[in-house]
Amino acid sequence: MFEDIPVDVSPMYEGERIRAANMFVELAGPKSIGAELVQVEEEVEDGKIEVIGPNLSEMKEGETYPFGLLIEIKGEKLEKELEGVIERRTHELCNYVKGFMHLNQRDQIWCRVSKEAVESGFGLEHLGKAISILFKEEFPIIEAISIKVLTDREEVETFLENAFKQYEERDAKARELSDEDVDVFYGCVMCQSFAPTHTCVVTPDRTALCGAINWFDCRAAAKMDPDGPIFEIEKGEVLDDIKGEYVNVNAVMADKSQGTVDRVYLHSVFGYPHTSCGCFEAVAFYIPELDGIGIVDRDYKGETPLGIPFSAMAGQCSGGKQVEGFAGLSLEYMRSPKFLQADGGYERIIWLPKAIKDSLIDFIPEDLVDKIPTEEDANSIKDIRRFLREHDHPVIERLKESKKSVEKVEAEELVEETSSEMEFIPEEPQMAQVGYVPELTVPSSGGMKITFKNAKIYAEKVIIKKK
Amino acid sequence: MIIAVSGKGGTGKTLLSSLLIKELSEKGKDVLAIDADPDSNLPEALGVEVIKTVGDVREELKIDTAQGNIPKEMNKWDILDYKIMEAVIETPGFDLLVMGRPEGSGCYCAVNNILRKIIETLSKNYDYIVIDTEAGLEHLSRRTTQNVDTMLVVTDKSKRGMLTAQRISELAKELDITFKDIFLVVNRITPENKDLILKKAEDTGIEIIGTIHEDSQVAEYDIEGVPLINLSNDSDSVKTVSNIVSQILK
Repeated sequence: MFEDIPVDVSPMYEGERIRAANMFVELAGPKSIGAELVQVEEEVEDGKIEVIGPNLSEMKEGETYPFGLLIEIKGEKLEKELEGVIERRTHELCNYVKGFMHLNQRDQIWCRVSKEAVESGFGLEHLGKAISILFKEEFPIIEAISIKVLTDREEVETFLENAFKQYEERDAKARELSDEDVDVFYGCVMCQSFAPTHTCVVTPDRTALCGAINWFDCRAAAKMDPDGPIFEIEKGEVLDDIKGEYVNVNAVMADKSQGTVDRVYLHSVFGYPHTSCGCFEAVAFYIPELDGIGIVDRDYKGETPLGIPFSAMAGQCSGGKQVEGFAGLSLEYMRSPKFLQADGGYERIIWLPKAIKDSLIDFIPEDLVDKIPTEEDANSIKDIRRFLREHDHPVIERLKESKKSVEKVEAEELVEETSSEMEFIPEEPQMAQVGYVPELTVPSSGGMKITFKNAKIYAEKVIIKKK
Repeated sequence: MIIAVSGKGGTGKTLLSSLLIKELSEKGKDVLAIDADPDSNLPEALGVEVIKTVGDVREELKIDTAQGNIPKEMNKWDILDYKIMEAVIETPGFDLLVMGRPEGSGCYCAVNNILRKIIETLSKNYDYIVIDTEAGLEHLSRRTTQNVDTMLVVTDKSKRGMLTAQRISELAKELDITFKDIFLVVNRITPENKDLILKKAEDTGIEIIGTIHEDSQVAEYDIEGVPLINLSNDSDSVKTVSNIVSQILK
């Protein structure tokens, strides 16, 4: 198939690097310009390969040249949406060509041709020929393919302008991609060495807690290393699209945590929040007094309104634990339209460090930006309450509502009590809150385990003695 | 073939590494030097300037990700691949990759995992890889040297140097890291102390592959900041290392 190409073409050359010492020329890369682009067209002359600008034989050894690769394809089933997917294969396929190194994608490509390849008569038309065959093999829906290899600077410059427009269009679409648009989520168990019951569920709307990998990265990683720590989860049946609960996600959670966790909500801190590894970028924590949620990130060194710093909070809810009222998350997730959507999203956020607020300013709904206090505005529950009231934060309305219903319930109870026999009710002694723990397991016997979640410890008296 | 150089700090790891690189590259082989010691001066010993380290690459990616600068459709692993290639310092004789500072706060599991893969793939393109490891034992417990073929442990005459050498050999066994070969190189030997030191070195239980004599030229180069790779081929140290190389390649 590749008989008229003077070098070998095979997947075994993937990962081939050409050292500067063995290199004939460099194309694109950090010292020049270049790009690659796949375009679906109406009219494509199948098998046409053009080299516009100097070919390798006309280049000077050791130099760097601009480089453009335009791949035009046609096929009945081909749609514009597929261009990105097909284009991403360029890197791999170019690397099948022995003596040709290709790194990265889009306008960030970096190629080199080895001295050995050039000596054996390899030219850029051969590169075009090889990848045109490989693309058709890889994607049978491509019926016709033609390739333009550009090395003329002006040509490459014009090509880049057009390519940028295409990339931007694609990025705009990618930004809009949401959980509903895909059939596959990804699971990542990279952190299980220290969080044995933790599986990170990565969806288009939910980046991994560490912030390092999004859905697209997982897709690439799972493909690169199918038996690796990142794997596919068929989305399957949706149980609750607001909370983000899925049959298959629950099953994977149960499987990977040896049954410890069998239910998770992807978009809530209540009920069954996502487990937390230990390396999350930030934590969302429930503030019961105000029925709102605070956020603190790893870089914030001060104390949170709960009276403890990030590190202490992280210690209490990490290690793969599922602790209601707490959820580790990535900063990128705070840019998602589904950010804690089941809890009210930003309408429920009542405190966050200024540094992250500033970095998310474009993603916080405009009417809420000034209503959410940072450490510069308020730090104690009391001060936050005052700030929220003064700025008319939506949580205040929520508090009033719930207060009303509580009062109603209390009033009813009171009626019942008074109707029964008169009883002496002792006045409650003055109590003070002395501790707050998101999860507390108390020693017990009889095959039972008693766990208090979001426990507040009140004491009439605290005695501190020197031993 | 992967050769790693380990030992207590200050015993001469960088001297041995740089001369190994010199010897192998003069044989016309493709050599990748990896400076894995955050506190080392291998680049200075090799006479090259470092523009970017693997640590810098990791930080750059972390910042770009946190700020949302990377288009979602761009593959982060390919970006890392490119950036690592940028971090490789290329010379006619050898290439050098500097690991740089250890990671800061935050989680790097995913990134480190991929970085390890990228460096593995990169390494396959070379005939020889010489790793100047960080001083002490950490490289063993972090398993950064588990694929090493030949481990060269350097010691000087000091008791602590010898002890570290012994611990490296013992810990490798405990952790089930089996190098094809592990050898001891004794550095800064003088005619007066030779017998005594060699006897002590034998007590480490590691086979001695070479002894480098106290070399006034090396000391001079160190003071002046002249790259050790420029030592002349008649120099005693260069000859010793050349001999070590032929034994390893045998």
